[in-house]
Amino acid sequence: MSAIRFERVEKSFGSHVKALDGVDLTVADREFVAIVGASGCGKTTCLRLAAGFEAPTGGRITVGGQPVTEPGPDRAVVFQQFALFPWKTVAQNIAFGLRNKGMPAAERQERVAAAIDMIGLSSHADAYPHQLSGGMQQRVAIARAYVLEPEVLLMDEPFGALDAQTRVVMQEELVRLARKNPRTVLFITHGVEEAVYLADRVAVMTKRPGRIKEMIDVKAVREAERWEEHARIEDVMDLESFVHLRTHIWKSLREEKVAGR
Amino acid sequence: MKFSRRMCVGMATLVVIAVLWYVATTGLGLISAGRFPAPGDVETAAVQAFVRGYPDTTLLVHVLHSLRLVALGFLVSVTLGVPLGLLMGWNPTAEALINPVFLLLRPIPPLAWIPLAILWLGLGDGAKVMVIVIAALPPAVISTQAGVRGVPPQIIEAAQMLGTPRLRFVTDVLAPAAAPMIFTGLRLALQASWTTLVAAELVGSLAGLGYVLNVAQQDLYPGMILVGMAAVGVLGAGSTALLGMAERRAIGWAQLRGAA
Amino acid sequence: MIASRQPLPLHRSLALGAIGTLAFLGFWAFLARSGLVSPLFLPGPVAVAERFATLTERPFAGGTLPAHVASSLQRFMVGYLLAAAVGVPLGLTMGWSRLLDDIVTPIFDGLRFIAPIAWVPFAALWFGTGIGGPILIIFAGAFPPCLINAYRGARYIDARLLEAAEMLGTPGYRMIAEVLLPAALPSIVAGLRISAGLGWQSLVGAELIVASTGVGYMMVQAQGAVSTATVMVGMVAIGLVGVIIDVALRTLETRLRRHHGQS
Repeated sequence: MSAIRFERVEKSFGSHVKALDGVDLTVADREFVAIVGASGCGKTTCLRLAAGFEAPTGGRITVGGQPVTEPGPDRAVVFQQFALFPWKTVAQNIAFGLRNKGMPAAERQERVAAAIDMIGLSSHADAYPHQLSGGMQQRVAIARAYVLEPEVLLMDEPFGALDAQTRVVMQEELVRLARKNPRTVLFITHGVEEAVYLADRVAVMTKRPGRIKEMIDVKAVREAERWEEHARIEDVMDLESFVHLRTHIWKSLREEKVAGR
Repeated sequence: MKFSRRMCVGMATLVVIAVLWYVATTGLGLISAGRFPAPGDVETAAVQAFVRGYPDTTLLVHVLHSLRLVALGFLVSVTLGVPLGLLMGWNPTAEALINPVFLLLRPIPPLAWIPLAILWLGLGDGAKVMVIVIAALPPAVISTQAGVRGVPPQIIEAAQMLGTPRLRFVTDVLAPAAAPMIFTGLRLALQASWTTLVAAELVGSLAGLGYVLNVAQQDLYPGMILVGMAAVGVLGAGSTALLGMAERRAIGWAQLRGAA
Repeated sequence: MIASRQPLPLHRSLALGAIGTLAFLGFWAFLARSGLVSPLFLPGPVAVAERFATLTERPFAGGTLPAHVASSLQRFMVGYLLAAAVGVPLGLTMGWSRLLDDIVTPIFDGLRFIAPIAWVPFAALWFGTGIGGPILIIFAGAFPPCLINAYRGARYIDARLLEAAEMLGTPGYRMIAEVLLPAALPSIVAGLRISAGLGWQSLVGAELIVASTGVGYMMVQAQGAVSTATVMVGMVAIGLVGVIIDVALRTLETRLRRHHGQS
């Protein structure tokens, strides 16, 4: 009921730059799809179209059967640069979307407290974003999106601005969250390992103008090989099945790079 | 170490200036009392200004008179200028409509409006408030507009995606995001308010600091001129400091961020 | 919901700009003609333009408009050049010499909050109302940006450049002329532009109070004679000259920057 559908979506900027050239992609209800691609291939454009920040120049995008016309809280976005409001505290940032919905204060506080608890920042509820580390800030941004209980989550390289260690922790947390509280997720990244680790399916994009080149079903492998039994990301990444998928996607991307030269 | 050295040199400079001043006037009489006042003359003038009053009432009354006009003009400029700046910064149509008028009028220095203001509104408070608003409105508008333009697009997109209603978007997102620039504009506006008021009072008025300066000039009373100038400086510095305090209270988050 | 801010296409923004300008002029003309305001106090745009033409030939307050403008410009040039001649070298030296910085900064800070126009009584007392008095006011208005920008330019020079020059045993005066000045030039020119604007504005203020010629003087006389059109002509003339000065300095600035390989 909240599937994202791209139907032959095209997007041009001005008359010269064609970013997307006929993207067909479906993210099923409660499915986690990651799009990987080289930088500049238009993967972020896909997300911005789904979010409603921009309109396609051809084709159509629907979410839950409804065409996307404008941004809205039913499609929460997590930005790479967090995009928290620096003048609001952690609690106020998370509460902002709920206030916009007109939720009564008592219920709102309860929801916000639960969300802050979920991301483990209870002792920082009244801190301002710049007083937090990058990882903490991104947790707040994720909580700000989750607290709205959106049908769809759109994540634009959410861990791209974090250091390597923090990124790993955040990836594990996101997996935990996604299992506990599944949503329809479209996740943009240029990290192949991250995509394989997090997603049910991975879409590989061509170089610009972007199209979906290949869909890889990770979920089937994950369930068959029981990745869930390994709690830590490095253990999963050691599994032969993981390495196999990763290498496959790497090769697919590499072909694009060579072709693009 | 460096800080204390700086302080020492600064203090020494001020002491040397004070001594030179005393020696050149009272001591050796190098500078005639009709040109620049000796320390004693300033003291006499200060006592007269504060206690007996000059020209008609005490300095405090004149200060309050000027302060009231600056406060009034400044507040009018801010309450008009900040919303206008928000509108012009956000809405390109409003900007395209209003901007040419600004461009047309801006080359005319605020002080050049003084004769017109006096023609229209006379020597009273109305003309003063008018020129203060003419001087202080543009910096308030322009800085606010620049502040809105400088809001990172992601902040705006975050607000869109969180389903923010229009009014709350202006009050809770646009205004606070532009607040550091808005305060810069307010500082410029405050400065312009003082300059313009003093000029307007010098050109024609019946009370206020500019009036004190004007009468002292006609009376050839250097001691009083210096007292008047000092009062102008102290009030300018004091009101700027007050605005700085308000800024720290209002947008502490921005300063914390700058320090981090 | 909030719509995104899209830049307007050029033709649309030009059209809206024309509408805005015409609305302003139209409102002015309407008010002047409507009889709501006496034409004595609000002449219309056309009346002001006519008055402008008249004043270029017929003298008012001791001179024609061009004569008053010339007189103002002369004062401006002297005061402005004086401010630049003192402010720029002093600022450069302050940026280089810690001692001078420590000596001048407290004095400068002490005087900073005194509006330039407040120097008018002393200016009149010391230099009279002819050319000297107003010059001091221009100086007071134009001096701070000259000093501050030269200071910043010199203070934030790449320290390695200075060390290299010192290592080469450069004497003090050549240090300023051949190292500090060129390196700080873009900042200095920006300061000169700002101070031209402030100086011009201070001059107008000064002429309103202490002068016997100049556009400001003409305006005060016109105010006394209740010739609103003449006052407005003065405002227009001041605005025009201000724009010309600014454009000239802007051109100089971009040229210099290009010459310096900066944009």
